Amino acid sequence: MMSMADIQIALPLLILAIGALITLICGAIGRKQTTGYLIAVIAAVGAGLWSMQTPPALLAPGLGLSASGLTRLFSAYFCFMAAAVLLFSHSYNRYRDIAGEEYPATILFATFGMVALASATNLLLLFLGLEAMTFGFYILAAIDREQDVSSEAGLKYLLMGALSAAFLAFGIGLLYCVRGSLGISEIMQTTLAATVRDPIALAGWGCLLIGMAFKLSLVPAHLWTPDVYEAAPPPVVAFLSGGSKAAAVLLMVVLLVHVAELGTLRVPLFGLALLSMLVGNMAALRQNRVRRMLAYSSIAQMGYGVVALVSIQGHGLQAAAFYAIGYGIMSLAAFGAIGVLEANGCGAELDDYRGRGFTQPVASGALAISLFALAGIPPTVGFTGKFLIFAAAIRTGENALAILGILTAAVSIYYYLRLVAALYLQRGAAEQTESISINDTVLLALSCVLIILLGIFPAQLLDFLKIQLL
Amino acid sequence: MIVPLSHLLVFASVLFALGVICVLIWRTNVIMVLIGIEIMLNAAMLVFVAGSYQWGRADGQVFALMIIAMTSAEVSLALAMVVYLHRRKNTVNVDEFRQLRDR
Repeated sequence: MMSMADIQIALPLLILAIGALITLICGAIGRKQTTGYLIAVIAAVGAGLWSMQTPPALLAPGLGLSASGLTRLFSAYFCFMAAAVLLFSHSYNRYRDIAGEEYPATILFATFGMVALASATNLLLLFLGLEAMTFGFYILAAIDREQDVSSEAGLKYLLMGALSAAFLAFGIGLLYCVRGSLGISEIMQTTLAATVRDPIALAGWGCLLIGMAFKLSLVPAHLWTPDVYEAAPPPVVAFLSGGSKAAAVLLMVVLLVHVAELGTLRVPLFGLALLSMLVGNMAALRQNRVRRMLAYSSIAQMGYGVVALVSIQGHGLQAAAFYAIGYGIMSLAAFGAIGVLEANGCGAELDDYRGRGFTQPVASGALAISLFALAGIPPTVGFTGKFLIFAAAIRTGENALAILGILTAAVSIYYYLRLVAALYLQRGAAEQTESISINDTVLLALSCVLIILLGIFPAQLLDFLKIQLL
Repeated sequence: MIVPLSHLLVFASVLFALGVICVLIWRTNVIMVLIGIEIMLNAAMLVFVAGSYQWGRADGQVFALMIIAMTSAEVSLALAMVVYLHRRKNTVNVDEFRQLRDR
């Protein structure tokens, strides 16, 4: 039986699911595009606001859904991210002629998956949340039917995603055989101690890591990332980068919070972090297409996230959660701005961005601020997040990772600033005025303010995470 | 239990490996890749059923049922995309779809 407490805790999920269904129905009845987006934004914001309030209990008694501070923080983050992405999409989709109510409904379904993942206390819900989210992105990546490359990106993402889902399911199955339970805390405590030499548990963790490497786009499993980033609509890429990757980092945090040290996981995670930082940054250096460059940069940024996960003994999990949120806001600003620029006729190459800083000041300004943040220049959230990660790594004694991370971060400044230089230091051919809708302006300004505010005053969020992740 | 857990796990691992091989060998054909992934997911289901029988608990079977539901959703999505791509390019060969790559 569902009690009142159950309903109160599960309400964000219910709001998102019902909101998505109403969006679909409204699309069948009415002919106006805006209605679907309006309903979807209202549902996302409503679910986000509801998950911010204090719950009656930390665990829904009948459903096993968690309502801890970490869950509510990330649920609210995912919901507001979805609302922002919907608003960005509204103007971009009008420009690209992506019609239909399935777009806002799919965004809501993907958000539903993320919130379910955030509230999971057992591996079944975790897996289903992750898959529900990824299903949404399979559709969203291929939604621009007028473009050949969009469906190609969707196909590549789908095949790789289904493969990783199979690995994840097999890994979880092996861990289940070892422990006989799907509860996260039980499985983590019995299968991950350094003394465990059970081959089944090791094989299970191996499969699980392969699956997670795909979701986080870490280096041996990163090949889908540049293709999807290049071909999907920019608001979708913003959601993928800010929502899906934050959800994958959150999943690792939720798993690892139950153990004191990494044990057998340390070596593979170390290797993934190392390769992602090196390959991601080096490949980004050679790119002349802006979106591909940002895709490789996102691979490198996830490498920094894994450095934080490896540094678990030096409070690395807080740094990872902080960086996931910070990176999400940075990529929202970056891809939101790219969406506005492309709607104003900007091409994909670096040369097309020349002189846009003078003709389109709002979008270029937001893009420049987010690039400074991604490069890790103070006083932005990118700097604070990287500082926390490398401090945690040094506290744990992972000096090699910390030094390599700082070096590659220094290298990465070159390719970020190359784009900023193209925006402001060179004169472009295009002489046109900027057309940007009011919500895009407000959202870009808001995310830039957040980037700088979280960079200067990270203490409040950090203290909250510290209490949650002890 | 008549069949010991280890036998079931070995069987499931072989099935999983066959699925991986299928994906790797026929990676040019979308349909064959999907079949390989299905085999891998079936191996995962088998592991869950074996585990739930070993421990006398039902949650593993629930997981297996959920994988069935997930797989059917995934296949319907993938096949819809295959039909759409086939209409565009008249092929299901993955190698034909290579407009997106590093230049």
